[in-house]
Amino acid sequence: MSMENINYKEEVRRKTSKPLLWIGIVSIIMFFSGLTSAVVVSQGGGSFLKIDLPFAFTISTLIIIASSAAFHFGLISVKKGNLAIAKISVLVTLVLGLSFILTQFLGWVALYENEVYAVGSQSTQESSYLYLLTALHIAHLLGGLISLIVVLVKTIKERYSVDNMLGMQVSITYWHFLGGLWIYLFFFLRYIIA
Amino acid sequence: MSAHHHKEDFLFKYVFSTDHKMISKQFLVTGFLMGFLGLVMSTLFRLQLGWPGESFEVIDMFMGSWAEDGVMSPDKYLALVTMHGTIMVFFLLTAGLSGTFSNLLIPLQIGARDMASGFLNMLSYWFFFLSSVIMLISLFVEGGAASAGWTIYPPLSALPQAIPGSGAGMTLWLVAMAIFIVSSLLGSLNYIVTIFNLRTVGMTMTRMPLTIWAFLFTAIIGVLSFPVLLSCALLLIFDRSFGTSFYLSDIYIGGQVLEHSGGSPILFEHLFWFLGHPEVYIVLLPALGITSEIISTMTRKPIFGYRAMIGSMMAIGFLSFIVWGHHMFLTGMNPFLGSVFTFTTLLIAIPSAVKVFNYLTTLWKGNIRFTPATLFSIGLVSTFITGGVTGLVLGDSALDINVHDTYFVVGHFHIVMGLSAIFGMFAGVYHWFPKLFGRMMNNKLGNVHFWLTIICAYGVFFPMHFLGFAGVPRRYYTNSEFPMFDNMIDINEFISMFAILAFFAQLIFFFNFVYSAFRGPRAPQNPWKGNTLEWTAPVEHFHGNWYGEIPHVYRWPYDYSKVDANGDYVSGEDYIPQTVPLGDNEKDGGH
Amino acid sequence: MTIIVVVAIILLVITGSQLLKIAELRAKSKGELIYEVTEKEGKNLGLMLFAGFFVFMGFFAWQMWKWYGLRLPVSASVHGESIDFLSDLTYFIITPVFILTHAILLWFCYKYAYSSKRKAVFFSHSNKLELIWTTVPSIALTVLILIGLNTWNNTMAPVPEETEHVLLEVTSQQFTWTARYAGEDKKLGRSHVTLIEGVNATGIDKEDENSNDDKLVKGEFHLPVGVPVQFVFRSLDVIHSAYMPHFRAQMNCVPGLKTQFNFVPKITTKEMKKITDNEDFEYILLCNKICGAAHYNMQMNIIVESQEDYDKWLAEQKTFGE
Repeated sequence: MSMENINYKEEVRRKTSKPLLWIGIVSIIMFFSGLTSAVVVSQGGGSFLKIDLPFAFTISTLIIIASSAAFHFGLISVKKGNLAIAKISVLVTLVLGLSFILTQFLGWVALYENEVYAVGSQSTQESSYLYLLTALHIAHLLGGLISLIVVLVKTIKERYSVDNMLGMQVSITYWHFLGGLWIYLFFFLRYIIA
Repeated sequence: MSAHHHKEDFLFKYVFSTDHKMISKQFLVTGFLMGFLGLVMSTLFRLQLGWPGESFEVIDMFMGSWAEDGVMSPDKYLALVTMHGTIMVFFLLTAGLSGTFSNLLIPLQIGARDMASGFLNMLSYWFFFLSSVIMLISLFVEGGAASAGWTIYPPLSALPQAIPGSGAGMTLWLVAMAIFIVSSLLGSLNYIVTIFNLRTVGMTMTRMPLTIWAFLFTAIIGVLSFPVLLSCALLLIFDRSFGTSFYLSDIYIGGQVLEHSGGSPILFEHLFWFLGHPEVYIVLLPALGITSEIISTMTRKPIFGYRAMIGSMMAIGFLSFIVWGHHMFLTGMNPFLGSVFTFTTLLIAIPSAVKVFNYLTTLWKGNIRFTPATLFSIGLVSTFITGGVTGLVLGDSALDINVHDTYFVVGHFHIVMGLSAIFGMFAGVYHWFPKLFGRMMNNKLGNVHFWLTIICAYGVFFPMHFLGFAGVPRRYYTNSEFPMFDNMIDINEFISMFAILAFFAQLIFFFNFVYSAFRGPRAPQNPWKGNTLEWTAPVEHFHGNWYGEIPHVYRWPYDYSKVDANGDYVSGEDYIPQTVPLGDNEKDGGH
Repeated sequence: MTIIVVVAIILLVITGSQLLKIAELRAKSKGELIYEVTEKEGKNLGLMLFAGFFVFMGFFAWQMWKWYGLRLPVSASVHGESIDFLSDLTYFIITPVFILTHAILLWFCYKYAYSSKRKAVFFSHSNKLELIWTTVPSIALTVLILIGLNTWNNTMAPVPEETEHVLLEVTSQQFTWTARYAGEDKKLGRSHVTLIEGVNATGIDKEDENSNDDKLVKGEFHLPVGVPVQFVFRSLDVIHSAYMPHFRAQMNCVPGLKTQFNFVPKITTKEMKKITDNEDFEYILLCNKICGAAHYNMQMNIIVESQEDYDKWLAEQKTFGE
């Protein structure tokens, strides 16, 4: 009974981890489409002041694309059994992920210097949306970073192999999604608000 | 194994359980406790509406300083109305109904040992619990509970100057709802993935009971609409606490002009109703699924039009996303948009009509066993019709002009959504009580509960249509300020008397529920002679549902009274469980 | 008092439990299962449900007899007549549906209550039947939708500029209404909340030359019979809804937004007093969107009168410039 139980649990994990993530992603997509359509509706209501999007956001876009590539390279390395390269790739991904947050922060600093405020009496609707959307993306990215750290630890401990890499696959799917989400938000902000 | 054998301790068995059956019971009990509070609130404000300005000792007892000398103040009346709506819609009929039965029935009816993730499932319950606690705390803060109506339209909900409840009470309301949404999303995630991935051998999608289909659509609607409510609430939190202007513009209140500019309250309404309308079906679909299953089992007949039932639920679910504008016909929206929303709204009548006629045909030439669950299911069909037909009045933008926000609306949605859903929930509790607690509920008390409830329900909500014909607006503390409504006091008194009786009728149910859970006669494994898989599981609860292998499935769940060419029952009895392999000349799926 | 209630509840619960226990023991001694519904009980419940149909319809009829007379009187506006027609048509369709489906539902409950002598019929689907009850409602709905959309579009179309009409702005705030007539120039002066100051309680722009001849009234406003009225609605604080039930007219008042509605009043207040046989009858504007503690008492009277009386009354009102 006990052994069978463990097998069953393993089977459930194998069957459901990815679908759970995908449906979670669907709800996150709905969350952000709610917000971005709110931007569109607000814009229709009155005149929208244009904001200059800081250059830092362009850099962060490149960084997050690079991090996805690095992570993907790590996954391929595990598939090929080359764990040493996998370790480095995942580490690079993590570093790039952290630098993404850093560049986003630099972007905010640049906005602040230009007297674009998030909240308070000097803020405008478009500036509030700008900060809110970027901040909420980072809030979701934190979850991705935590899973990335777990994956990193497991890679270093050499837990992954060709037939055992479900955790890594789940993590990478979410990470790619975050990248895609940011690219969507970047172009949305670029052409709607900024 | 023996070395690691340990007794499950109390904490993990009853509190932080990851077993879907325990979580189901937790949802049920928490939902009922919240629902009871909602019931008390409605009884209290019905006293005020029936006998405006009169002093009542019970009001004094329950409301204390909120009601000087036993008469509630207008803003506390609105607080009660708001909390009643919030609690009933979200805590009782969303979490209480869907949380209980999705959790109980999904693994048991599709043949799984538990949900996809027991941990997320546990988390879902505890978020719900936390949310309930915060919602209750919000009753006891300065300024009182949220009082802007359950739809919390800003600016009223955003400005404490506008109504005291929009202070700390509203903040907690928003926090509680944000947590509630997370709970609901975690639940829905689990339900969908479990249904798609963990069905037992032979359980194809078209062999799933209608309950499971209903829970699946409910969860999908939830995953798509609740995140939008979260974004809606988030923007409101920012407007309230950080001085942003998403929803606020050009406001002069309390002798000063506010600094907000550029926002639009209409944006809030759009975001809110994008969830708000699907929410109606999040509440209703599980009830429809439950009664489909019960009516089929109790008439000893297959449900008529299994595929049409699925199709109509799918159509209702789809349409629910493109009708939200019918709550906003009179917000100054473009009349053309109003036309579009009228069109999509009235379309919902078609799948709804299909469902009703299919229910009726299922009863036709059946052999109906009237358990309390059957009675409540019949009650649901009745309220679904009664409340449904008035939807044609409200969904029509031209007619909505004169009945919008009157008591006609209150009557309509309480019957079609409130009563139908709670009847479905009662039916489910009576029917699956043996599965939940291993004991039987008392039928006689159940019958008394049904008759009193349905009489009171119609006694309360049917006359409201007549208030609506007279143009009486909802959310009025009293109608006594308008001479044109003076004649309405009779109707209001009539409604209030039935409301009080309804309150006592529910006490019968709660007594029956608690007594039977501990002292009721022990249940046999399959008391209703049902076909579905949950009745093949042992009565006693343990994590894993079945000893040994999970049963395999060979047929659809509605083979009741199936006869062969000679007119004899195929299996010798009037039901064939899903685990029985098909005979040589037998076809599956009702052929 | 509280103690008595608590004791009474405890006693009730104990008695109830004992009664249930006794009932169970008795069933057990007879070898029956208490939770099984016997054939006789089932028949009785079926009969009760069928009787319930007559009680329900009796209740419906009783309410119609007692309370239908309390409904709003005949429409006092022109477009209201088409709304009332559509409303009647809708009830004409839904009432028979409501009655017939209940008759069938509850008759089946009686007719097909459990009998050990009968077998239920295995009848799982019929494309023909399902097609019928998809098509029939669709046809009825098409009719309702077409008439509904027509009525809606006619109602919402604004009064054309060149038509002779009254332009009236209604401003809502917690918990009062202010009406503003456009005055001689037929144009409303600009207004904004930032301009609110002292007696200028609705924030009208003094600089705007259109403002000077505007006329502000509180408590009641007058309308000439037979002339289209173009309403513009504003709100200063929260969302309100201007509901004029006798005219089948309603529109939300949203802060930061101007909304519109229009109708042609066709029955004067005097005539309506006769029609309703009520000397005290008044047309009324009331708030129909929850707006705060005194939401239940936010009203303004409307008086519809002949063009002469209206002109006379309007001439007596002060202009904003004065």
